[in-house]
Amino acid sequence: MSVGFIGAGQLAFALARGFTAAGVLAAHKITASSPDTDLPTVSGLRKMGVNFTVSNKDTVKSSDVLFLAVKPPIIPFILEEVGPDIEARHIVVSCAAGVTISSIEKKLSTFCPTPKVIRCMTNTPVIVREGATVYATGTHADVEDGKLLEQLMASVGFCTEVEEDLIDAVTGLSGSGPAYAFTALDALADGGVKMGLPRRLAVRLGAQALLGAAKMLLESEQHPGQLKDNVCSPGGATIHALHFLESGGFRSLLINAVEASCIRTRELQHLADQEKISAAAIKKTLLDKVKLESPSLSVASASKVSLFTNKSKKN
Amino acid sequence: GAWPRLAMEASELWVGFVGAGRMAGGLVRGLLQAGKVPASNVLASAPSDKNLDAWRELGCRTTHCNLEVVHRSTVVFLATKPHILPGVLEEIRPAVGSHHIVVSLVAGVTIQTLQRLLPPWTKVLRLMPNLPCVVQAGAMVFSRGSNAGDEEATLLKSLLSSCGLCEEVPESYIDIHTGLSGSGVAYVYLFAEALAEGAVKMGMPGALASRIAAQTLLGAAKMLLETREHPAKLRGDVCTPGGTTIYALHQLEKGAFRATVMDAVEAATNRACDLAKD
Repeated sequence: MSVGFIGAGQLAFALARGFTAAGVLAAHKITASSPDTDLPTVSGLRKMGVNFTVSNKDTVKSSDVLFLAVKPPIIPFILEEVGPDIEARHIVVSCAAGVTISSIEKKLSTFCPTPKVIRCMTNTPVIVREGATVYATGTHADVEDGKLLEQLMASVGFCTEVEEDLIDAVTGLSGSGPAYAFTALDALADGGVKMGLPRRLAVRLGAQALLGAAKMLLESEQHPGQLKDNVCSPGGATIHALHFLESGGFRSLLINAVEASCIRTRELQHLADQEKISAAAIKKTLLDKVKLESPSLSVASASKVSLFTNKSKKN
Repeated sequence: GAWPRLAMEASELWVGFVGAGRMAGGLVRGLLQAGKVPASNVLASAPSDKNLDAWRELGCRTTHCNLEVVHRSTVVFLATKPHILPGVLEEIRPAVGSHHIVVSLVAGVTIQTLQRLLPPWTKVLRLMPNLPCVVQAGAMVFSRGSNAGDEEATLLKSLLSSCGLCEEVPESYIDIHTGLSGSGVAYVYLFAEALAEGAVKMGMPGALASRIAAQTLLGAAKMLLETREHPAKLRGDVCTPGGTTIYALHQLEKGAFRATVMDAVEAATNRACDLAKD
């Protein structure tokens, strides 16, 4: 089986690294493409032994499982570009936040009658094989196609199938989750440094504390509230610290974060559905076929870039 | 004293109350409801008749003489206001014998103080009840003084479990109990009032809202006590994904509700400690 990545950024790099480390795929069976060869991840991919090309079409041709690993606003352009090369054998896996299966199927159906589409939401720790991935299968993707993806993604962490309407919530929780954790770890380390620890040690200990706690929770039948209680001796240090967290509304901040990420994902999907896009989002893409109505674009401006000009090209 | 050692059987127990205020009244109601002690075996003293009328209505005997209570009782509950207590102890000291079991409900008065003001052979216990003892759903903790042994602790526990939960604790927990449960009852009343107010805002008549709020608290507490599950787990069980409950809980978290409650318990506990020092 060969795997291709349209896009050679953080996501492609993380997945390629994870798959090769897990031994489910040899590097030479992986192809990645991007118009931008200056990305730091490009040299990383090359060093891994992944085939790198600037041609998205080459990636499609040499892959069975095709990951769309570009930013959400770019997806329509990619589908337009590689659509003609998509065959019934391909399993197209979109990892783009907020991009619906139906929007992808709609786009591809102009080229291929029954495109196999799977939508997936993963996260960066796939790079160390501790990813959190969910997927939903499209109209023409069989059970085996889903299982194939699940096998791949399970090699780099936790993977389970969900209904598509839950994917935005997953984005808010585990998609963005590592960023919340990094923020927390940075702050914990600051706390350690304030109280006298050298920075490196503080970072190491903070990370290990979170890793250990997460592992305990995953391996325990107990509710996190119970596990927390187990750490809090009466009148001790921990309960004093927790009181501070509660006073700061720590819990609600986390709830707010997950909610905000989920809502923003839906907003972006809505914007995409309306087929409007900002110039900043497309600056890295080769867009000679896209007509720009005005040199200075913004989402708020009246002149928008129009996608899906179906009348323009079709063979 | 010269009095013979009275029977320790609860049913033959003679129970006295020095001070007949709200808290004492709550305890005696619990004892009588549960049939632990016949009313005729209860003697209460107070300076005026104001409080004693209610006791007489229950069938208890009453007096204005504290010494009489001590002479006629085995278990003597001290239920005066804190500033009154030293004078009362001076007064009853001569009548206190080694057969007596003295149980102090007086807020902020330590076992050390009690033992200092009573004869050295006195069996002293310190009790911190809370108001719902009145309806036999109280939460009480007690600690023993140097001369109180297992027998006294067991007797007290057996008497008081008629009024609710009764646990023996180290004395250092008593102020915490005040913050958690003594004052805690008021936090619950506040919460119930706010719940009902929310319902009224949304269109429900106040009286109905209040009754439902109270039943909600009762039901939730009952589930906690009976299932013995962690409250976080029970909370999770009520939260359907994307449902009403999780939306509401988010509002509570935004208001740092948990921390505020912790602050309240802390403030009441600290205040109890401060008052005790005076």
